[in-house]
Amino acid sequence: MILQSLKIALESLWANKMRSFLSMLGIIIGVGAVIAIVSVGTGSTQQITSRIANLGSNMITVYPRAARGQGGRVSSVSSQEKFSLELTDYIEKFCPSVIKVIPVKQVSGRLISGDINVNATILGTNINYAEVNNYEVDKGNFISENDDGERRQVIVLGSQLAEDLFENDNPIAKRIKVNYDGQVYMFDVIAVMKEKGGSMGGSLDDQSYIPLSVAMDKLTNSDYVSSYIAQAASSEKASTAVNELKNFMAKFLDDEDQEQFRIISQDEILDTVSSVTKTMSMMLGGIAAISLLVGGIGIMNIMLVSVTERTREIGVRKALGARNVHILFQFLMESLNLTSFGGILGIGFGWAVAYFLSQYGDWPMVIAPLSIGLAFGFALFIGIFFGLYPAMKAAKMNPVDALRYE
Amino acid sequence: MAKIIQIEQLTKIYHLGKVKVEALRGVSFEINTGDFVSIMGPSGSGKSTLMHIIGCLDYPTGGKYFLSGQDVNKLNDDQLALFRNQKIGFVFQEFNLLPKATILRNVELPLTYNNTHSKNKKQLAVQALEEVGLGDRLKHRPNEISGGQKQRVAIARALVNHPSIILADEPTGNLDSKTGQDIMKMIDKLHDEGNTIILVTHEAEIARYGKRIIHLKDGVIDRDEVIV
Repeated sequence: MILQSLKIALESLWANKMRSFLSMLGIIIGVGAVIAIVSVGTGSTQQITSRIANLGSNMITVYPRAARGQGGRVSSVSSQEKFSLELTDYIEKFCPSVIKVIPVKQVSGRLISGDINVNATILGTNINYAEVNNYEVDKGNFISENDDGERRQVIVLGSQLAEDLFENDNPIAKRIKVNYDGQVYMFDVIAVMKEKGGSMGGSLDDQSYIPLSVAMDKLTNSDYVSSYIAQAASSEKASTAVNELKNFMAKFLDDEDQEQFRIISQDEILDTVSSVTKTMSMMLGGIAAISLLVGGIGIMNIMLVSVTERTREIGVRKALGARNVHILFQFLMESLNLTSFGGILGIGFGWAVAYFLSQYGDWPMVIAPLSIGLAFGFALFIGIFFGLYPAMKAAKMNPVDALRYE
Repeated sequence: MAKIIQIEQLTKIYHLGKVKVEALRGVSFEINTGDFVSIMGPSGSGKSTLMHIIGCLDYPTGGKYFLSGQDVNKLNDDQLALFRNQKIGFVFQEFNLLPKATILRNVELPLTYNNTHSKNKKQLAVQALEEVGLGDRLKHRPNEISGGQKQRVAIARALVNHPSIILADEPTGNLDSKTGQDIMKMIDKLHDEGNTIILVTHEAEIARYGKRIIHLKDGVIDRDEVIV
């Protein structure tokens, strides 16, 4: 009987193609929106998390905050000056969850090769920097311990910087001039890094790297660094490491309110990003679900119109021997067909939208089978739920009244 | 002869708001298998109400109605539907074909509701359509054929289940007189082939095709006339 009701329902839907399509539209858009939004949500989250993970392994950065005074007086000693090189060892000692601390001295200068010059960020750092940042050497070797110990004037170039300065020539062993603060220093290029792309503070590819000792003693002649990069022992220990660092820095700087330093961890960024995207996709998914519901109400509306319009037909069918349950199933099948076809088209539609958006946004296209199942199941549920009332109305009709209906 | 229909003191009262309408006020008669009976009367005489009750579309308010020996008042909605499907073939004034379905599908409709196998269904429907001379119009839709042809489709649809009675309600009412005569000849021929026919009409000429005329007036039988 169900099969036969299905056949009758299909025939009558086919007879009203345009109307069927229009009433399906709500479901198509609803299901499509749910699938597309969930896909975009997961795809973009994956992209962002993988980018953040790519920044380095369990990296925590400690910056000094800009000096702040009270009541118009500048505080006597800027916290920045307390970021000494020796502190590196203390942090490693007092923060057991931190396995490595890399001091970074950041300056900007002008790099000159022949008649080309480029303004660039120059980071004074040590051998560990590349490793912690998941940053690989393309040609040559990264700064070694000897380079640092002997204060060799050697420089490593980011991929973009190397291209800007040397175009297609091999920069290794070439000599460039570095103009910092009006002084000119000669540096030998020892390595070019692989392309890496964005990071927490701009592109790494535009930066250059020199031994920390050179940056501190030769270029700036200062005894404090710009920041520390601490590496947590593992991602599980990252939050413990952050707390240890906070406590240590607060004590060391005598700064209970933690106003003189700032700690940014990868986990923190990941958490923020994923909670933001989660909230966003839940909100958008909710809106899409509401549009599905509205589509369902549209279906009910159409079905009610259809039942009234076909009162005569219902009378004839009953006169010819249709039982109430035949009529019930016929109309229920019609609404179920509308929503299930709408659901299938909606899956295709959502898929296409998700594909184009993923191409546009350059993130992986992820279609969760769960979201398909959920959206389709919800569409079927709506078909039954909103189809039931009109179908019952049709089934309950008195055959005599139905036959007389004009 | 076997009595196919026995009706005893049938009454039907409608309540239209506060107005009580007594459509039937105690009607009794019997119809034998193979009869051709016309039920005639002016509008408001209760003939439509009587036809609905005979057709198992409605319950009477009082009295008894036996169809093939079965007390119809004791049947529930579903059993009534089964009775309509198997015992009665309707021919309506307005044809009442499904406009979007082909003629073949229209004739197959009664078979759909008694789970006839789809292969037999088509065969039976084609056979019935051939009997009324429309074997070549299977794929047409009702709006593509004339009124007379529509009524012939309706007759084929009434015949397809081999019902106990064919119940024709003003079958010529929407047709011109020439076509109406053709239809009546066809119904007459069905009677000759052994079918029991009940014809409801207000036209005396049409009623004359019957072998017996039950004249209905104000909800009671005015005259029961046998045509010789």
